[in-house]
Amino acid sequence: MITLDDIGLKKFTLENLPRLKELRSLSFARKPEICIERARYVTRYLRDKADTSDSPEVRQAKKVNYFLQRKRPVFLDRNLLAGSTTSKALGAPLFPEFFALTLWPELDTVSIRAKNPQKLTDDEAKELNLEIFPYWMDNNVLEMTRTRISEEKNKGLAESLGLFESLVFFIAAKAGCISHAVPTYKAMLEHGLTGLISMAAEREAAARAHASDEGDRQADFYHAVQISLEGIIKYAEHLTEEAARLASVADDPQVKQEFLDMAKVCQRVPAYPATTFREAINAIWICQVGIHAENINMAMSPGRLDQLLYPYYQRDIEEGRLDIGQAIELIGCLWLKIADNVTMVPEASEEMFGGAGTVPAITLGGVDADGEDAVNDLTYIMLRVTELLRIRDPNVNARYDYEKNSKEYCRRVSEVIINTKAVPAFFNDRANITALMGQGESIEHARDYAVIGCVELASSGRDYPASSSIMLNLAAPLEMALLQGKRQITGDEQIGPLTQDPTTLSSFEQFWEVFKTQLDWLIEKAIALNEEMGRVHQQMMPSPLLSALFEGPMDKGKDLIQGGSLYNSSGATHIAFADVVDSLNAIEQTVFIDKKYSFSELLQMVKNDFAGADGEKMRLYLKNRTPKYGTENPIARKNANNVVRHLFELYQAHTNYRGGRYRPAYWTMTNHAGLGGVTGALPHGRKSGELFASGITPVSGAAPELTACLNAVAELGGECVPGCWALNIKYNPEGDIGQMTDRFSQTIEGYFRAGGQQVQFNIMTYQMLQDAKKHPEKYPELMVRVSGYSAYFKDLNELMKDELITRTMYDLSNGQAVPYVAEKKETTAPVLSDPVQKIFSFYEKQGERLHDFLSSLDQGEHLIKTLLKPMQKILGEHLEYHRNIADFTGSYQFCSKDGVVNIAVIFHNGMMKLEKNKIDNPDITITFRDVETLLKFILAPKQDILGAMLRHDVVTEGNLNYLYKLGYMGKQLQNMLPHLP
Amino acid sequence: MKEALIGDIGRFSGHDGPGIRTTVFFKGCPLRCPWCHNPEFIASRPEIAFYPDRCIGCGDCRDICPEAAMTVDHIAQLDRSRCTSCGLCVVNCPTKALELAGKSYDVDELTDIMLRDRLFYESSGGGVTLSGGEPTAQLDFCSALLQRLSGEGIHTCMETNGFFAWDDFQSTCLPYLDLVLFDVKIVDPQKHRQIIGVDNGVILTNLQRLLAARPDDVIPRIPLIPGFTADKENISHLAELFKQLQVRRCSLLPYHPFGLAKAEKIGQRPDSSLPQKPMARETLHQWQRFFNGMEIIEP
Ligand code: SF4
Ligand code: SF4
Repeated sequence: MITLDDIGLKKFTLENLPRLKELRSLSFARKPEICIERARYVTRYLRDKADTSDSPEVRQAKKVNYFLQRKRPVFLDRNLLAGSTTSKALGAPLFPEFFALTLWPELDTVSIRAKNPQKLTDDEAKELNLEIFPYWMDNNVLEMTRTRISEEKNKGLAESLGLFESLVFFIAAKAGCISHAVPTYKAMLEHGLTGLISMAAEREAAARAHASDEGDRQADFYHAVQISLEGIIKYAEHLTEEAARLASVADDPQVKQEFLDMAKVCQRVPAYPATTFREAINAIWICQVGIHAENINMAMSPGRLDQLLYPYYQRDIEEGRLDIGQAIELIGCLWLKIADNVTMVPEASEEMFGGAGTVPAITLGGVDADGEDAVNDLTYIMLRVTELLRIRDPNVNARYDYEKNSKEYCRRVSEVIINTKAVPAFFNDRANITALMGQGESIEHARDYAVIGCVELASSGRDYPASSSIMLNLAAPLEMALLQGKRQITGDEQIGPLTQDPTTLSSFEQFWEVFKTQLDWLIEKAIALNEEMGRVHQQMMPSPLLSALFEGPMDKGKDLIQGGSLYNSSGATHIAFADVVDSLNAIEQTVFIDKKYSFSELLQMVKNDFAGADGEKMRLYLKNRTPKYGTENPIARKNANNVVRHLFELYQAHTNYRGGRYRPAYWTMTNHAGLGGVTGALPHGRKSGELFASGITPVSGAAPELTACLNAVAELGGECVPGCWALNIKYNPEGDIGQMTDRFSQTIEGYFRAGGQQVQFNIMTYQMLQDAKKHPEKYPELMVRVSGYSAYFKDLNELMKDELITRTMYDLSNGQAVPYVAEKKETTAPVLSDPVQKIFSFYEKQGERLHDFLSSLDQGEHLIKTLLKPMQKILGEHLEYHRNIADFTGSYQFCSKDGVVNIAVIFHNGMMKLEKNKIDNPDITITFRDVETLLKFILAPKQDILGAMLRHDVVTEGNLNYLYKLGYMGKQLQNMLPHLP
Repeated sequence: MKEALIGDIGRFSGHDGPGIRTTVFFKGCPLRCPWCHNPEFIASRPEIAFYPDRCIGCGDCRDICPEAAMTVDHIAQLDRSRCTSCGLCVVNCPTKALELAGKSYDVDELTDIMLRDRLFYESSGGGVTLSGGEPTAQLDFCSALLQRLSGEGIHTCMETNGFFAWDDFQSTCLPYLDLVLFDVKIVDPQKHRQIIGVDNGVILTNLQRLLAARPDDVIPRIPLIPGFTADKENISHLAELFKQLQVRRCSLLPYHPFGLAKAEKIGQRPDSSLPQKPMARETLHQWQRFFNGMEIIEP
């Protein structure tokens, strides 16, 4: 029930909420810092303390508990909530279990790099280099998987791993995280963690009494739950002590009181049941912190907070303990706390995929378990906070049931989107509940869905969906269908099955079959690897702490990773959907229906990237005159539906290692830009290297009419897209906000009635975004929707900025796309890198002449030697530098594909050896396409390992951590060279 | 009557009646207003519109034209006297530099397209608007289409110049129309004939009859065209007339020059006295003041 006089809560502004105003400006002023606390303690625990007889769950619980006991309680600003994700004000925690070692090469430079630097002190860098990272060389998820696969001698899986590591087919995201979940905090709030611990203790005793293997396993699990939850309680105790201490030394009476209040709150929660709104909020927050001791900070989503917190809010309001202003302040504090952490991003990924937050999703509104309107006063309070703060995280989402929720609610959400220009995203209850029921969820559970991370759906605390397991590039199987199992980027290598030559096909249906052959083959590969990684997670990364906050594990006595949750699934999302559908359309219409071009003519031009006047003419024809997804053209509709249906059926036929089904989805984060950048020309008139469309959004410029576009997308919705999608729509901002809000909300309703599942907006013009790209300093706070999450525009890489700029903009006054007019591009000349300069000078000092060095450039082999020789020399002379290899054994093989280069580097017994041949079983083999790419790689301003792999300049085989380590040694060397005698 | 010649179909139009609407532009109009917003819909036959800025001069249109109506010198050139509007060049042009204004539809096809946005009409209180050109010039078809649409429960609206035979209109269309937007331009009969080419007697009588029959469902609209309609004398006469006819709601349409560029695309030269700039807001408000006492509907 709504009791607010004004659902817009317009009288509450940042001006009269000075605490939020200050915290907000701090959040923009703060620079991210890497926090090594977690990495330090989990490494110490595993290296020095772990009991090898412990079950994986107990080992994990003890590891997490060990860290939580030692985690520093810090209070860094005037936020009213106690607890912080890291020891830093804006911290990037390190999870060496996943990809933390990618930071290795830039330990000394990450603080000062040009794009989104993350601060790291010298001492901490040293600790990582010498103490922490070496322990993980063979022990992170990816390397454990590699070892498992090689021990099993499974050729198929080795192939899968190769496909993943070439990055242009699919991403097996489990190497980086599972996370992506919505826990339920209901039981925690009602019983306190002590209540959950006693429940687990009782069940442990009962299970032990069974005296069976199964009983023991369950007992171990219950035991692990207790240990991990006790870790959180310990952390809360430390928060209490620290708050009390700070109160005792505070001079300002108001500050003193704030610390006393926080001490009181933490003394009670989350150990004991929450009695007030404030306690409930802080209890949730401390548990979020606890979850991140165990699971990486990636899309751990608090869920439906307006529902969960409402009883506490209502009671406090009724009993006069709380007023609306205070409630807004507390929710604002929670939003800002949730945004207190970022992910560690190595420079290469920053270039490709940068700008993302950690995407913890909050879900508002919609219906309750009985299917009735669930919007309450707190929903509007949370909307107002979102409108006032305009920060990247949390990712706020509004559910809308057009039959049950009021029009005022829809209008209010629309107004917030127009005012923030970007958030929240809109979710259609009817379609999404149908989608989840199609996955076997009961209607009550489906109605309690919440958004995870970008857009994925799960019944709150009942569904463990690993929703970001696979990210599959649909353009890869399309290209393989055109090139009989090969891709342009990987050249002559036969990758997929050798399918029929498309130029010999006589109907589009035959081509569709060929495409499906390649697609199915690739998906099988991706699923097989995901299953294998799932098993590695079962051994290495169970989640007893998170399991305690789910329905199912406590009844089944089983960790989430073992299938303990009520519902289990794995999610696969797809990149380049719209581009692939348009390519299918173009082939069907042009080659088979109109016979305007033959398949071989088309293929020839695609291979040539539409070069020459004839190529350009064909490209324009394909771009302008073939059916487009995003219109109501029957061929486009048929092909879009067929792709969606086929993917649905294929994934649903697979059961994962936890006993759940695979769910397809369509969201792309920034992968559509990164992967588009390295994909060759496609038959719908897209030139090589152009971006793909995002999520399920039609190709830019392909869908000129708004309603036709929305209809075309909406009809794909419901049952076949259980993982949901991201549809990006850009609107031209209008002068008359009232009129725009009406049209906006009416359009949403029409789209939802047609079946659309999700939509998100950017309310900005082409010109404004072009200007923001040119003058980032003018737009420090400009927030945009990427594909399922928000980012600050200034943080995005150039490709993504262009993608946002060129997205079709519609005018809400006439529903037509406003044509995009490109700006002239400036090209910059490549520059020689700093490192090479330094090596030049080093050689000059050594008395060698520069031209000797330059003349060696035409031989790659010499070059590698030239680069590695100083390393060898300095290792012998510098004790500090030598520490890098004191206890290090590792072997590297450098080759060029053309066979010109063959160099091995071996570290052993504190020595470094160079060999001019092939060695047996190197830890890693690094193969360059040819001498030229090797030179380019080494001469580039920065060694962009990931980028080089994406472009297939470099292929690696073996343990990547060795490469990262060598990368660090190389960089350290470069920094030393100028200072050496 | 089986088929009608349609100039274009506009989805999500916001200015042709309430809510989100689909507007059908009928091709062909008996009037000749020099300022016409949609000059490409005046002639009652299909026409080729040419967008020179999109043309890359590839010559495909010339190669395919059966009438040798196309020549290419850097960009394409169309000899309209030879063109039969067969449309072959249009489907072959790789850049959409050529477009065909005017396509025949039957009632089923059109209804099908109109129904596509039904959910948006429902969410916004919108519907379908028949416009043009002049829809009543294809009255039988309008009637059939309106019957179908109103049978589907869709809100219907018509934009008309009022130049129609009352009896036919009243019996075949009006019963299926929820709203009529009725354009009135010039009161002085002589001036009207001179500028627009027909008598305004029929138009004014039709307005009177319509207002008498359906006073709540008619909105008279005046296009404010500097040098043609927007002068003190004409506007004050119109205001008087509206008062006499007890008009409750009316609408004033401020001049906008988009008709000019469109005329060029179909090879016509627009009246050179028409301004190049849209009418200022303040000027519109000045003219609105003449209609004190009536509700002014913003277009
Ligand atoms: S086909 Fe189109 S682009 Fe080519 S010359 Fe004709 S009008 Fe110009
Ligand atoms: S419409 Fe037909 S006749 Fe006219 S120019 Fe084109 S091809 Fe020639």
